[in-house]
Amino acid sequence: MPTTRRQFIKRGASAVSLSLLLPRFLTTEALGQEAAAAGDRKILVVIQLGGGVDGLNTLIPFTDSRYLSLRPNLAFRDTDVGATMLDSTFALHPAMTAIKGLYDAGKVAIVRGVGYQNSSLSHFLGTDIWMTANTNGGAGNGWLGRYADQVLYGKSGLQAAALGGQLPKAFFADKMVVPSISNFATYTFQTDPRFNGDRNNQLNTFNADNNRGLPTDTFLGALASTGSDAVAGAAEVQAAIATYQTAPGVTYPAGTPPNQLAPFLKMAAQLITTIPDANLLWVSLGGFDNHSDQIGDDEDRDNKLIGDHSRLLGWFSEAVKAFYDDLAGHGLADRTLMMTFSEFGRRPNENASFGTDHGTSNCLFVMGDPVRGGMLGEQPSLAVSELDSAGNMKPKVDFRSVYAEVLDKWLGVSSRTILGADYPSLGFLP
Amino acid sequence: MASITNDEAAHLLRRMGFGGSPAEIDDLVTRGREGAVDYLLNYQLINNSQMDDLLARSFDFSNPLANDGKFNQGEIRRWWFTRMITTRRQFEEKITLFWHNHFATSLSKVNDFYMFPQNLKLRQFALVRFDTLLTEVSKDPAMLIWLDNITNVRGRPNENFAREIQELFSLGITDVVTDQPNYTEQDVKEIARAFTGWTFRLNRADPFNSTFFENPNNHDNGAKTIYGETLNFDGEDVIDRICRRVATGRYLVKKLFSFFVYPLTSSAADKATADKFANVYMSSNHSIKDLVRAIFTSDEFFSARAQLGLIKTPVEYVVGPIRMLGANYNPGLPNQRRDGSLAASTRAMGMDVFAPPDVAGWDLNLGWVNTAAALTRFNFANGLASNRPGNDPVGPWLTNDQLRAFTKSSSKKTVKKFLSVLGPLHPGNSVIKNLRNYLESDDQGNKVEWSVTDATIDKKIRGLVHQIMCLPEFGLN
Repeated sequence: MPTTRRQFIKRGASAVSLSLLLPRFLTTEALGQEAAAAGDRKILVVIQLGGGVDGLNTLIPFTDSRYLSLRPNLAFRDTDVGATMLDSTFALHPAMTAIKGLYDAGKVAIVRGVGYQNSSLSHFLGTDIWMTANTNGGAGNGWLGRYADQVLYGKSGLQAAALGGQLPKAFFADKMVVPSISNFATYTFQTDPRFNGDRNNQLNTFNADNNRGLPTDTFLGALASTGSDAVAGAAEVQAAIATYQTAPGVTYPAGTPPNQLAPFLKMAAQLITTIPDANLLWVSLGGFDNHSDQIGDDEDRDNKLIGDHSRLLGWFSEAVKAFYDDLAGHGLADRTLMMTFSEFGRRPNENASFGTDHGTSNCLFVMGDPVRGGMLGEQPSLAVSELDSAGNMKPKVDFRSVYAEVLDKWLGVSSRTILGADYPSLGFLP
Repeated sequence: MASITNDEAAHLLRRMGFGGSPAEIDDLVTRGREGAVDYLLNYQLINNSQMDDLLARSFDFSNPLANDGKFNQGEIRRWWFTRMITTRRQFEEKITLFWHNHFATSLSKVNDFYMFPQNLKLRQFALVRFDTLLTEVSKDPAMLIWLDNITNVRGRPNENFAREIQELFSLGITDVVTDQPNYTEQDVKEIARAFTGWTFRLNRADPFNSTFFENPNNHDNGAKTIYGETLNFDGEDVIDRICRRVATGRYLVKKLFSFFVYPLTSSAADKATADKFANVYMSSNHSIKDLVRAIFTSDEFFSARAQLGLIKTPVEYVVGPIRMLGANYNPGLPNQRRDGSLAASTRAMGMDVFAPPDVAGWDLNLGWVNTAAALTRFNFANGLASNRPGNDPVGPWLTNDQLRAFTKSSSKKTVKKFLSVLGPLHPGNSVIKNLRNYLESDDQGNKVEWSVTDATIDKKIRGLVHQIMCLPEFGLN
């Protein structure tokens, strides 16, 4: 297949059958579908860590002499990681104490050496490849879009959403249209904030104009019915999330500068806890492209405990913990699986700017009550003979193995139908 | 010379451009059908110095490889929106947008310093002989990268470009009229060989003028059999053979119709239409200008089926009302107060300019219709209607005086005036009644007499603009 073949992103090929955001009262009866009971729910939250996370300074091989020599300035030693040591050879970054706590409770599986052969070092292509699970150019629909077409399409209510940013390619699909919601405040039919008293008039006029019984098989009717559904669907989401309360004792981290992941995981919690069908959520945290000043300095002395990478991992760790606790308080922690990924890892050899360049193999995290905790996969060797010509690690685990296990064992769909081939199971799910 | 009505002139301007003020539409009416088309088509004769001055003030693309923030993906999008909103040569922008969708190339794979000069090239060759345009696009670095021809070398051909130049850029898989296949898989393989070695060299001093060359070491000089003819073809020979086929004319007509007129179906009547205009292509030595002139002056173009027979693209939805209402827009300066809000709006509606989803371009018409995009459209409408002059407003804005110019003493005339300015739209009496009720309702929903005051303009006329832009009729083009 050529790399940029048409992908058939039919954003609502038939507006008439486009029911994903239809208000439930309009469709539940018609489609004869019941919201899944909480006990049957299988919630997946994907956390994209954008920019290429430095896996070697996330899951740290602190005794590896090659690691220490390749990173004279950036390496963490045993004396740095006393609080986050996982075993005698690996530790989490010291900023990740919250995730360390979850790990100790058996709720975190860390897959080592994840990647694919001939890894792209381009952010865009690398991201597309992870989003589509197509290592040959990253073309085509998203892996979760293909899942959504197969399983979620045609169901009523909000099934899936991307929160905080643009719609990721992972959700591109033939039939299913997954909304991207940048924030709930604007996810509504907005009217002039200067005249809130006029809002009801505006809504009434809109509804009258867009519910004229126009024939739905015309462009005009499709625009009217879809527009009307959009406004009603957004109102339904607003009504649902208005009932949300953060679980007692849980506070989402703010901080200065503010935690950039926590607000989006909180949005995910708002949807998950108030809309019984909202089971597939996507959030992202960017900024991991730490070519320079990956570590900070404190009064002109290098300090690995501050700086960009440390701050980002701290945000990630604390936001995940708050989200986990919130869902636990709502009785949904055992129904929720979290999974991270990044488009690539970073180069073992640090560069001259206290940073790292684009790499290949990486670690990723699968988290939540459903997982079998521990470290899986295989850490690639840093021996000179084991690195590729650019000095990057050779991946040991195909990332599609991770997807396959999530699809087969958690989402309950045959991964072969989504990924086009079989991939060995890693065992992070029972 | 055929005369045109006000509605027909507005239709012409919405399609050859993005729409315009009542005065601009009046001007087109006085020119008649052919006169109006020729005025818009021969845009090089229109003085555009105001826009040129604005661009010179607002952008600094003098050093595209410097990492100083003055040239990047956001800046080229802002540049294009500034053009579309402020140009007096509307068809230049519209036909460039058509070719951008036709030769769909994206920032997802191609650097901004190649995407930008590709856009300049699409402008430069937009209306010449199709052979020339196809050759220029094929030799341009953006396409050479996008469809992998830079890795298409003798002995290891890459078929990506060879396939798409036929399937999407010229012939189509099957003939639009006869439904017969236009080429075989063997043709794809042989054409790939003909394009081996086509590559370019980055010009670091002037990256907008990187140099195309055919690398003799990588070019396959063997004989190739293409469409039944055996020769030592190179890429230009292939383009020549492709462009002389009537199937290319028919496919271009189909693409032009679905973007500018109405989607052609496979009915016998529509096939006859495709064939009729393909004959213009053939008899005019493949002149794009002659072909589009024939289309825009045709009865098909002014038919009831064509008028409001397409769904507005996000770019049309955003740029159109700004031009129709004469809204104010300040693009900002190269490094400060930059307004990137319009590109962000169309991106949220599914149309990220300079980044179509794939080589087939955007899925038009119903492709734009989904609930997430609908909400984004309505909220853009609210933003335009309620954005007021301020120190540094983000996004275009309207003053009360601008709105007063269209406001009438009766609610009925006011509604009809705004439906006219934003279309003209003819949504029927029930909608006119709904909109009048809106103008005449107080916050409690009680009826009050319509009176034109600063307060009612600031509140109700802005609300009316929002409401009209939420009508399904406004969603049409």
